[in-house]
Amino acid sequence: MRAVDVLVVGAGPAGCVAAWEAAAAGAGDVLLIERDRAIGAPVRCAEGVGSAGLREFLNPDGADWVSRRISRVILIAPDDTQVALAPGDVGYVLDRTRFEPVLAEEAARAGATIRISTEAVGIERADGAGGGRWRVRLRGPGGEETVGARVVIGADGVETMIGRWAGLETRVAARDMESCAQYVVGNIAFDPDAIYLHFGPTVAPGGYAWIFPKGVGVANVGLGVVTLRGDGRTVRQYLDDYIARHFPGGTVIGLTVGGVISGVTVKRTVADGVILAGDAAHMINPLSGGGIVNAMKAGRLAGRHAARAIREGDTSARNLQAYHDEWMRLLGDAHQKYYRLKETINKFDDAFLNGLARTANRIPDEKRSLGRVIGSALVHHPSLLPIAAQLFL
Amino acid sequence: MPQAVQHDIAVVDNDLCDSCGLCMPLCPPEAIHMTRRGLVVDATTCTGCEKCIAPCPVGALAMTDARR
Repeated sequence: MRAVDVLVVGAGPAGCVAAWEAAAAGAGDVLLIERDRAIGAPVRCAEGVGSAGLREFLNPDGADWVSRRISRVILIAPDDTQVALAPGDVGYVLDRTRFEPVLAEEAARAGATIRISTEAVGIERADGAGGGRWRVRLRGPGGEETVGARVVIGADGVETMIGRWAGLETRVAARDMESCAQYVVGNIAFDPDAIYLHFGPTVAPGGYAWIFPKGVGVANVGLGVVTLRGDGRTVRQYLDDYIARHFPGGTVIGLTVGGVISGVTVKRTVADGVILAGDAAHMINPLSGGGIVNAMKAGRLAGRHAARAIREGDTSARNLQAYHDEWMRLLGDAHQKYYRLKETINKFDDAFLNGLARTANRIPDEKRSLGRVIGSALVHHPSLLPIAAQLFL
Repeated sequence: MPQAVQHDIAVVDNDLCDSCGLCMPLCPPEAIHMTRRGLVVDATTCTGCEKCIAPCPVGALAMTDARR
């Protein structure tokens, strides 16, 4: 039986960076497996990413995995009033089909082995010395094979099986699941340097609609909806209605669907010889729904702590707990605050949001930062003060 | 002999399903599994709670009478 030190399941942003970091930190034999035939595809994502977070990992300047550099954010109220925030170094819309392969190549250069079309179909404890802590059954083009691993990093997304098999609670309440649908739409008019976020319970209850440019005249146009708050339509029907209303002349050239978990990090992200990272551990910003940079940051921590635990000869949950604690300090605790804020924002009705937009547009263009929009909202809508206080609790 | 299922269960229409996996963590008894041929609901563990039905982005899940 083949034995590795670290087995990483899932070659998304979390898994690729985990393998990269584990190999670079001297974890030994690192194997990264991906169920799909291609790393980076199919895309299940709006592909937007913040500039600062991205630059911790890769340099986007001139990179072919960038679809569009973004310098503006435009918030849209339910009545279509636009609030343009002051321009700045906002971020990028990626081409995930090219982005993940670059991360995987970095992992390989650091020494990790990568296998595509290979999925984990079961794991069992193996507390023997030679084979490592887990025996993982893999299924790939060559049939089934069992691999021993000291640490298994579950970066296997919202549908995580590694978490289930390791006895970690990764189920999601319906109120914390945003159902998303997105079309790539061509032949439409919009500012190709801006991302648009369209809010309101009639537009996208529990979430928002987005327009993320892929190029001039072509964009990812999508919607996230908590269907518990919806009116019975599927999210694809919400999106069809949105496109019909806002982009009736657009050409739909692609569809993607998926779930964004808008809760908070699972209570336990580690078990004996197991670490969960990224969507598998619900490490998504519950306010923005953004998960790419979070996943990469979690992957980096996961790889680092896996290497440390192996070096120390102790891959128990107790010794891996430092990973969980470090994640919570880095972002997990903040997500709990964002979650409470989102709960409050979800109570706003269309009229209230339309009023906020008009208030925000009284701020001079060049000074209209998100902070000032919130500040102005507080001055003009004192009923918001208890909500603002929640941000700092 | 397994007990006959006495309630409706969820079924996946694999012509509509995109295998996004959104329904899997929503399932309390973890009865939904991803296979090479698409998602499958385990009829013996599905409790008929319907939590997976509405969130499916493309409406690929529906309740059916398991006794038929």
